[in-house]
Amino acid sequence: MRSSTRVAAVAVMTLTVAGALAGCSTKGSSESSSKDFSFWSFTGINAKADVQAYEKAHPDVHIKLTEVGGSTDTANELTTALAGGKVPDLVLIQGDDLPKFVQHPGNFVDLRTLGASNIKNNYAPAIWDQSVAADGQVLGVPTDVGGMALSYRKDLFAAAGLPTDPDQVSALMSNWQDFLKVAQQYTQKTHKPFIDNAETSIFYQAVNQGSEKYYNSARQLDYSNAQVKAAFDLALQGVQDGIAANLTTFTTAWSAGLQKGAFAVVATPSWMLGSVRTNAPNTSGKWGVAKIPNGSGNWGGSYLAIPKRAANPQAAWNYIKNSQSPQSQLNHFLTSGALPTTIANYSNPQLLGKTDPFFSDAPIGKIFTESIVGLKSFYIGPDSAQIGTDYLSAIQNVENKKIPASQAWSSAQSAIKRDVGQ
Amino acid sequence: MTTTTAIRPAPGLARIRESLPERFAPYAYIAPFFVLFGIFGLFPMAFTFVISLYEWDPLGDKTFVGLHNFNTLLTDPRFWNATENTVSIWFLSTVPQLLIALGLAHLLHAARLRFANFFRMSLLVPYITSTAATAIVFLQLFDAHYGLITWFLTLFDGNPINWLAGRLTSQIVIAVMIIWRWSGFTTLLYLAGLQSIPRELYDAASVDGAGRWRQLTNITVPSLRPVIIFTIITSTIGGLQTFTEPLLLDPGSTMCGPARQCQTLTLYLYEQGFTDFKFGYGAAIGVALFVIIIVLAAINFALSTRLRGAR
Repeated sequence: MRSSTRVAAVAVMTLTVAGALAGCSTKGSSESSSKDFSFWSFTGINAKADVQAYEKAHPDVHIKLTEVGGSTDTANELTTALAGGKVPDLVLIQGDDLPKFVQHPGNFVDLRTLGASNIKNNYAPAIWDQSVAADGQVLGVPTDVGGMALSYRKDLFAAAGLPTDPDQVSALMSNWQDFLKVAQQYTQKTHKPFIDNAETSIFYQAVNQGSEKYYNSARQLDYSNAQVKAAFDLALQGVQDGIAANLTTFTTAWSAGLQKGAFAVVATPSWMLGSVRTNAPNTSGKWGVAKIPNGSGNWGGSYLAIPKRAANPQAAWNYIKNSQSPQSQLNHFLTSGALPTTIANYSNPQLLGKTDPFFSDAPIGKIFTESIVGLKSFYIGPDSAQIGTDYLSAIQNVENKKIPASQAWSSAQSAIKRDVGQ
Repeated sequence: MTTTTAIRPAPGLARIRESLPERFAPYAYIAPFFVLFGIFGLFPMAFTFVISLYEWDPLGDKTFVGLHNFNTLLTDPRFWNATENTVSIWFLSTVPQLLIALGLAHLLHAARLRFANFFRMSLLVPYITSTAATAIVFLQLFDAHYGLITWFLTLFDGNPINWLAGRLTSQIVIAVMIIWRWSGFTTLLYLAGLQSIPRELYDAASVDGAGRWRQLTNITVPSLRPVIIFTIITSTIGGLQTFTEPLLLDPGSTMCGPARQCQTLTLYLYEQGFTDFKFGYGAAIGVALFVIIIVLAAINFALSTRLRGAR
């Protein structure tokens, strides 16, 4: 009895220790061949199709694709991996998550060492510059952008006596003041809201149209500049005029609102057209697409980057060069609708001629590329996302009647000061 | 008290010695749990105290700041806002829950209840439902524009209530979710307690002329005191850690409302630590939560020993 107890005790201890050690991750194990690499991408963008197409064209390359999750989940996983775990060779980072990685460029391979300078001129400068660090290091190559346009319900416009032809609508609301005037007209006539909400469809779009956002050209915090204040006041004006339906974007209530025609206009980047299609399939053919007031804007877009500790940076770079060439981006656009970032494509007739029957055959290729061409290059810093959220929250608080409009700006300022640590 | 003959070793014999493996065996059997707990439970908990002394961005640098995070915490209006919210949500969810459970247990305890087992099993269904699924469904029911419950209430009042926008209203939604989930479980606990009260007490009371209400307050509730204390303690522990419901009430945001109307302490911790990537500050919030729980546990303990002693 005694010896078997001893054996049992030793066995249990060994198993425990082995189990505990097995839980520890190994760092940077080498791949089987230097042409293979591991790739972290998002779910829901059909990344597998692109990977398989590349493998077919290059049979000696095997790509280990992991669809980590949504863009935020992937960014969080990447942060954890960079902090001390196993990093992939190639990773897709969304534009909103990019700034905090650009702040610490030491975590990534400088793509100039692999040849980024040779392909730089293919891409729209405003988009390319987002992934360039303060010392000039290039972190990522842009894969696609959202652009910005105004989607409107033609039937609701007609019922309110407004023109429905896209060119006429674009001319009618060529700047934000005219936009608000038309909105007031519509709401007075029909007693229904004009837009889904003020913070996203007005503030978020207007603030992206300036030459600066929340940082100045010296990359220092400057979040209360005149351009931001102007955009903020526009949104507050919209709330006070009662033209917003107070439906937060992407909530179930917003989807329901799309279906029921609770609002006539929504600011949509190119990928949001898909959301409209899936959420309100019964409204097919009732929509039109016009230019966003002031014409330029962007929302969304991703970058491909290579972490510093990657085992196969060269293989990953070959993939980037190949899949982000002008021709590849064009093919990708024709199959998935994701807008290219390569300038050559902006004058390509295939792209410019793309129309969408759901949106009454609107020339979406043309409208969205024009919105990007007019985009100014401004710096997005690590606190930009937090500052944006604070401004959006202040406007929402006014919409919810929690604070009066006169206090909105100061409440946003104090929230931002606290968040950026001032 | 029964007397036992004490067993004494024969004079001259030393104490029986167990062999080394036999003395070692018990520790070996409990070792696996403690080793794993030590690595994955105790070490991270202790390390949180260390992290709270730093300003730690996981992607960049880590600077030692001593107690600076705690200074910021004490003057941070958002921290106190989260604490208030946590306590009020706890209160709003616990009191109705325990009262409902007591009432339901009383009903289920009736001698001639048909399909008793069916009722008892169906009470547990909310408890085993996924919290996330519950939150999504309740979010739709309480939607300000299209929710079923909102619409129903407009038949009485007229104006649709924007549940998420208000402080009290958003906390009521969370409390409703918690009550829905936990009432069944608590009912079964009370039911078990009720079934252990001897019938003679009730018979004697009705002979003495006590009505149903007197019987409830003078017999049932005092007899159930230990179970009630237990449910208060468990609901305190759970209530202080409310996380899933506030997180899902405002989808896509970790603030639970633009004015942080329903943000609880754990949600604030998550927001600072994993959305804003301020590990040091998030850890400091965790330490503060730890202190709050210890204080409340001590109060609970003092009250329950005092109550137990009074019986």
